[in-house]
Amino acid sequence: MSISSEVGEKLLSLPEASAVAMRIDINAYFDVIKAITEIFAREKNLNVVYITATLPSASLLNAMRLLELETDHVYFVDAISRIMTSAIQKSDHIMYVESPTMLENILLKVEYLYKKSSVENKNIVVVLDSINSLAIHNNHRILSEFLHIMVNNLRTKEANTIIMAIEEQSTDELLNIIGFVCDETIVVKGPAEGGDVE
Amino acid sequence: MTAMSDNLIEFPRGERERCVTGIEGLDNILNGGIPRGNTVLLTGSCGTGKTTMSLEFLVHGALAGENSLFISVTEASTKLLRNIIPYEFFDESLITSGKLTFIDMPAMYERLGLEKSEFSFEDIVLLVDAIGQIVEELKIKRLVIDSITSVCYRLKTEEKIRDFILRLGKTLSEKGCTTILVSEISPAETRYSLYGVEEAIADGIILMGNLERRGDLLRTLQVVKMRGTQHSRTKYVLDLTPVGVLLVPLLKGGGGD
Repeated sequence: MSISSEVGEKLLSLPEASAVAMRIDINAYFDVIKAITEIFAREKNLNVVYITATLPSASLLNAMRLLELETDHVYFVDAISRIMTSAIQKSDHIMYVESPTMLENILLKVEYLYKKSSVENKNIVVVLDSINSLAIHNNHRILSEFLHIMVNNLRTKEANTIIMAIEEQSTDELLNIIGFVCDETIVVKGPAEGGDVE
Repeated sequence: MTAMSDNLIEFPRGERERCVTGIEGLDNILNGGIPRGNTVLLTGSCGTGKTTMSLEFLVHGALAGENSLFISVTEASTKLLRNIIPYEFFDESLITSGKLTFIDMPAMYERLGLEKSEFSFEDIVLLVDAIGQIVEELKIKRLVIDSITSVCYRLKTEEKIRDFILRLGKTLSEKGCTTILVSEISPAETRYSLYGVEEAIADGIILMGNLERRGDLLRTLQVVKMRGTQHSRTKYVLDLTPVGVLLVPLLKGGGGD
């Protein structure tokens, strides 16, 4: 079974309103994105709110298209493009936040996309990519507060949260922060280590 | 608290009836909305979202069936209208049906013969009576005056400002009208109003501001005072969006003031 199929099976069995920490080997990064998109957007018919502080949304969109993933139900909260002074695409599917330090504005964009989805009678799943990237720009105290507010707010909306952590870049302190707010942890190993999903 | 309908909420004995603003975050902060009949000072420096938020307050009122009035002192209402059209919940029939009315204060001054640089106490009586009459005739339940600071420029003295706001608040409250007085202050201002009088008389103060944190500029909102309800006094960050004003708590870990 492929890594994305194994991850997909785990995601499919998640209860509503749960928060999941995904500790990912960097080599399995795109397998995880594929699994998230296929399970939540296609199988569960949810709008995927993808917070990116790692790669610009334009790069992620290109990668998703290369992987032949359906992106109609994927909405980006892009917290990295503006700080990199990358070219900004005008799209209903991309909301830009000026900087990854503006954590409140990330929360506000998520709230906006939730309200927009509610109009279509659809719920959302929020994917945070990644805790490591946000930790470059924010201290752990404010990051912890941000996650606590976001996850609990999404729980009240019966929405799932997925917090990605790149295994190679994660300190114990960072893993403790996500462990505190998450109900479950999924560890995804890279192809070189057999691609196990635990 | 028992929700009866979108806009009519029954409160336990002793609690005042609320004017539900329709701005979800603000209603939560205010424990259900502004106590009906209150006169609220919505204050802040330029670009903080005062006019946008007060327009949203009126549009939600009109949508809920309450006649709503915007008195514009500085900007022509035709220009203001362009600001509310992007709202996804705005319906132009609110204006044609008379649920949402715009009046330009300079036209009122002209009609009342008040085209002068300084008002007397008699002029204040005349102006308040005229506003009260419009509120009564149009059965207005929500009123915004944007801005009260511009009216105060013509009052000059603290005594006249006090007299004007007290009179206005009393007149509107008696008619069950919930009022927002928009107040302009400079970013460095330590008071909530230009003259320091308005804030002492108003039933409520909502402070809007720009908070700079490590080079980022955040729009903030804080309810400083609101008579007739318990409320949060913490600072919130807001965003002006096509679905209306959205609010989230200001994160404290970053060392913001």
